Amino acid sequence: MIADFAQLLLNGLLAGTQLAVPAIGFTAIYAVLRFPNFAVASHATIGAYAGFVANVWFGLPAPAALLAAFLVAGVVGVVSDEIVLRRLRPAGALTVAIASVALTIVLENIVRFSFGNDLRGYDLPVLRDWHWPMPWGDTLRVGPQQLENAVAAGLAMAALFAFLAFTRTGKMMRAVADNPMLAGLKGINADVVARLASFVGMGLAGFGGMLIGLDTSIDPLTGFRVMLSVFAAAVVGGLGSIPGAVVGAFVIGIGEEMSVLVLDPTYRTAVGFVAILLVLSLRPRGLLGERAY
Amino acid sequence: MTLRTSRRATLLGGLSLPFVSRLARAAGEPVRLGTLCPLTGAGGSYGPAMVKVAKTIVDEVNAAGGVLGRQILLTGEDDQTNPDAGVRAARKLIDVDKVDAVIGTWASSVTTAVAPLCWENKVMLFTVSGADSITQMPHKGFIIRTQPNTHLQGTRAGEYLAAHGSKKVFSLAAQTPFAVDGYKVLTEALKAHGADTVGQVIYDQAKTTFRTEIDEMLKAKPDSLYLNSYQPDLAVLLRELFRAGYEGKKFTYGYAANAKLLGSVPANVSDGLVAFAPSPDVGSPAYAKVKAILGGAEPDPYSCQVHDHVSLAVLAIAKAGAVSGQAIHDNVRGVGDPAGTKVTSAVEGLKLLAAGKAINYEGASGPCKFTPTGDISNCKFRFDVAEKGKMKLLEIS
Repeated sequence: MIADFAQLLLNGLLAGTQLAVPAIGFTAIYAVLRFPNFAVASHATIGAYAGFVANVWFGLPAPAALLAAFLVAGVVGVVSDEIVLRRLRPAGALTVAIASVALTIVLENIVRFSFGNDLRGYDLPVLRDWHWPMPWGDTLRVGPQQLENAVAAGLAMAALFAFLAFTRTGKMMRAVADNPMLAGLKGINADVVARLASFVGMGLAGFGGMLIGLDTSIDPLTGFRVMLSVFAAAVVGGLGSIPGAVVGAFVIGIGEEMSVLVLDPTYRTAVGFVAILLVLSLRPRGLLGERAY
Repeated sequence: MTLRTSRRATLLGGLSLPFVSRLARAAGEPVRLGTLCPLTGAGGSYGPAMVKVAKTIVDEVNAAGGVLGRQILLTGEDDQTNPDAGVRAARKLIDVDKVDAVIGTWASSVTTAVAPLCWENKVMLFTVSGADSITQMPHKGFIIRTQPNTHLQGTRAGEYLAAHGSKKVFSLAAQTPFAVDGYKVLTEALKAHGADTVGQVIYDQAKTTFRTEIDEMLKAKPDSLYLNSYQPDLAVLLRELFRAGYEGKKFTYGYAANAKLLGSVPANVSDGLVAFAPSPDVGSPAYAKVKAILGGAEPDPYSCQVHDHVSLAVLAIAKAGAVSGQAIHDNVRGVGDPAGTKVTSAVEGLKLLAAGKAINYEGASGPCKFTPTGDISNCKFRFDVAEKGKMKLLEIS
């Protein structure tokens, strides 16, 4: 029982770090632009494919491919926001949110049209798991790729927090998220910050998409599959709160894994829905509230 | 007087001409069969070959004198791999062309849609669709299917595993309507041969990682794994099995372990995976003939099955001595009489039937023996193993 518990906790922690990156992207966009941008799903897919092109076609190592995933998804995020979503923003958050669902379907099918429906894998060796002996006599199983992913996710999050805490641009973003009108009075250009939020948010989504792909395989539905968990993480942590997204990602990641103790694995997906339901009925502002930072 | 008689005779002769010709035509009235294969749509890559095989067999029979002294007229319609189009085409075949048998429906959805038309009009339906539900319809015996259903496939999987030393089999199954039934069938087949299942995890295909499922499986300590998966989830599962250090046997379906799968995972991850699929009887002369008709390429299972559909329909008519859907219905099992002389083509069988002998038709797709519900009772399966990233044939049995 202890062994089961420890292994599931570890699995959940690692799943949580992976989930945290796109969840931060989602919540960062919400913090600045005030609408749930469901196009995060297709941008995660686009990131995964950008990383695939960099890694398999151009032979770049995984860290460089992750950077490519971030940049390409970020640029696509800005462009699609300019062309599609920005014009609809005056019509209200609901309209833009619905448009983002349409956008994600279009982008996903562009990926499908360009790369086909087939599964693709990165050009990386598949390594055996490490088994660590534990005091209670069993072993804990963890994959080298999972650990690398956790480190990469940790670095990306650290970089984002440093950016928001220490750079002028980062502070601008927080200011707009906190109080757009006051930020405007202070002379902060809301359009620039909006583009920046799209770039960083979608870039992180792409980064997260590639992390997921590194551990498994990629196909045009890669991002769509994790969208529910990402959305749940952001809602649980408090929409618009970046530390909240991290906390939420761990809650969802660990919750999904731990649910196996009492539920059939088939019903694991339900954890995300239950989490959203509980948080919205008991604490609608999320665990950490709506403060952006 | 002479003139009048001559006039009357001419008149009578003239009037009787249509009757004479109608009488003559009744003897020469063709036997009408129809193909309803997918020439377009998702099955569009299979239909043309199926129709070509059907036409060639009909031509051969016609060249050898036809059946019951009558020529066969084959009418072809395209079901577009679409139930709507399939129903319209079936209506035309049944109402306008007056066929006695509809041959070669491919998609289960199309077969399900056209089947009621067939059994209501007493027209025999020969199909290559695999869904279990098809033969569970109240079809009154008017459906014959040459594709093994999932029950037969599960049974053969269990038999193979037991015969190759598996004692404790664990099943990892994608969430599909036949996951639960498939496990039941597998368990029965294993138990009948001294082995058993030790558990099943039904997983959600939408998940990108199955570590938890794999942990569950490892706890049961199986010696073999039955992977009731599709290609995308199988790719993920294989990687994770490799990572987890699972060293037992891995067994799956041929449609999941295809070339795409082998291309998407490294060879050391896929190596040792055994895949099985229904196989035509590649040793049969009928298979060789289908291969020749299609220009020498290895024929797909559906072309082989259509070869057998046409042959069975023609032979059943010959055995009945009558031309109707009901005649085919009543005699389609009779031409596979195990006590009879084995034949592998319609022409061969027609000769023996004409001589009053019993025949045992065995075709390109297999033995062609049917259960009362219209399923094949047995067929060959091919077993392949992944080696260095390629599938290698182990056996056909």
